[in-house]
Amino acid sequence: MIEFKNITKIYTENQHKILALDCINFSIKKGQTIVLKGASGSGKSTILSILANMTRPTSGEVVVGDTRVSKLSDDFSSQYRLDNIGFVFQKYNLISSLTVTENIVLPLIPTNPSEDYVASRLDYLLKLFDILDKKDIMVRKLSGGEQQRVAIARALVNNPDIILADEPTANLDDKLSNEFIQNLCELKKLNKTIIIATHDPLFFNNSIVDKIIEIKNGKII
Amino acid sequence: MKKNSSIFNFYLLDFALKSVWRQKQKNIFIVVVFSLLVFIISSIFQISNGLRNEALSTVSSLPEITVQQIENGRMAQINNNKIDELLQIDGISYVNTRIWGYYYFPNKDVYFTIVGIDQFEEQYKSIWKKISSKHNFYDMNNSVIIGSGVSKLLKESYFDTSFNFILKDGKTKHVEILDTFDRDTTLETNDIILMSKTLAYEILDVNKTMATDIVVKVKNINEIGPIATKIKNLYPDCKVTTRDDLKRSYEQMFNYKSGIFLALFVISLFTFFIIIYDRSSTLLSEEKQEIGILKAVGWSTNDILKWKFYESSIISVFSFCFGLILSFLYVYIFKAPLLKDLFLGFSNMKPDFNLPFVLNLELIIIIFLICVPIYIAATIFPSWRASLREADEVLR
Repeated sequence: MIEFKNITKIYTENQHKILALDCINFSIKKGQTIVLKGASGSGKSTILSILANMTRPTSGEVVVGDTRVSKLSDDFSSQYRLDNIGFVFQKYNLISSLTVTENIVLPLIPTNPSEDYVASRLDYLLKLFDILDKKDIMVRKLSGGEQQRVAIARALVNNPDIILADEPTANLDDKLSNEFIQNLCELKKLNKTIIIATHDPLFFNNSIVDKIIEIKNGKII
Repeated sequence: MKKNSSIFNFYLLDFALKSVWRQKQKNIFIVVVFSLLVFIISSIFQISNGLRNEALSTVSSLPEITVQQIENGRMAQINNNKIDELLQIDGISYVNTRIWGYYYFPNKDVYFTIVGIDQFEEQYKSIWKKISSKHNFYDMNNSVIIGSGVSKLLKESYFDTSFNFILKDGKTKHVEILDTFDRDTTLETNDIILMSKTLAYEILDVNKTMATDIVVKVKNINEIGPIATKIKNLYPDCKVTTRDDLKRSYEQMFNYKSGIFLALFVISLFTFFIIIYDRSSTLLSEEKQEIGILKAVGWSTNDILKWKFYESSIISVFSFCFGLILSFLYVYIFKAPLLKDLFLGFSNMKPDFNLPFVLNLELIIIIFLICVPIYIAATIFPSWRASLREADEVLR
């Protein structure tokens, strides 16, 4: 269970205060697929960042299971992300000078895993996203769709329960967007909680989506 | 999935190595500058320490007190009859005259040092003792033993087995070259031509009642100072030099030279850290982005610091070892061209000797501590600052 309780977020830029979220409240059950719908700058990405504890709310709190996420220290926060969160960024945020394999295992490095574990996770994910033949290629040489699959594989390598996707189809054509939906279906079968921030209509009438939360000017409408 | 708290993480090390390679242009520059600094510091300290040790060990074999006659402010020959007067002083165990002087060799525009010793006298230097037990100086009036530097120069002028000294009256004195000093005594014997006292008197044209100077040994080394003072009082027209005086002047000479190099070293160290700080401390936006990505995928500040620690350790330890090995090769294999000459300064003949290989751990540790931890700290600090920022802020 994910709960957002009275979340407000104010960014300060050049001494100007920008209200990104204004007293947001909602909850998500485990295994649900949620779409956060809204125009650019409405606050969707901020909700994902707060849930991943990549930024802290100005007030209010986020509770995931029994964990009060926004109160975690840096060490526990990173452990929380490692245990619970898989983030697919809009621009993928891959390290372009690393290979596909090296990018996918990034979240595992601080855990100093066994070679067998790494090999089995890589084998499973490379096959799942059909990028086995690209495993030793630098990600900068891949197409947009392939890079996105690498980003999803990286988000899943630590086997998280919550998948966050920020504008996942913004840089994809129709064919690749449908491919992404197929990938989400695979994740849903694994009983992952999926939260997608998007303004792409492709998601709004899709059967995999359980709930749509519409955001406007930092408020749920 | 628990994080591993152990200091060694193979995957992190692998990631750090790849990270070093990914920024190879920047890192090669740092390795070159870092290695060069370690090479220069290490070479200077090794040469100065080696020469100081050699010089001080030479001093320790010198007579405890030397008495020289001064006339008109210049050194002059001393009368042999002073020996009996000196022996009257309590605490003196041995007194003898020395006969030595410089001999100009025009072919190479150098001065050799002629030293005369007597077979039956107690030798004031261990090398003379060793050589006099090997050769009989009593009837050695037409032969000499020479240092390796002298030998080299004479051979270049085709004096392979014998040499002709030119005496004051213009006549020549033909002598056979009996032997050459061992190479391990080169610093002490490089420009020496050792011969019997009789021959030295003849070549240097010194009256038999006179000598170059007088050497004195004392029964108790703690009394060298007071006895030297007594000699000064007895002969106000003489210069009395103790072994400690010579030691001090050697140390002052090397400390002065080391001081100049130390000043240069401080300047180069500053330059090094300015360059390194400029190159390492300002993170590129690409590096900041990487830190943001790693935080977003579950790395903590500690993990990022560990990665940066591995990365800077790889660069600095490699550069340190590389610079150190280069300095060993430069000093001990290539005999430190340029730098050794700067340290040895003016000499009649620059001795072509090898510095004895001494692994001075203390010195290596000091150089390591001066360079490596400071570099690691200088490179970790900006990464630490970047990693304290929220991942969201970095990635936006």
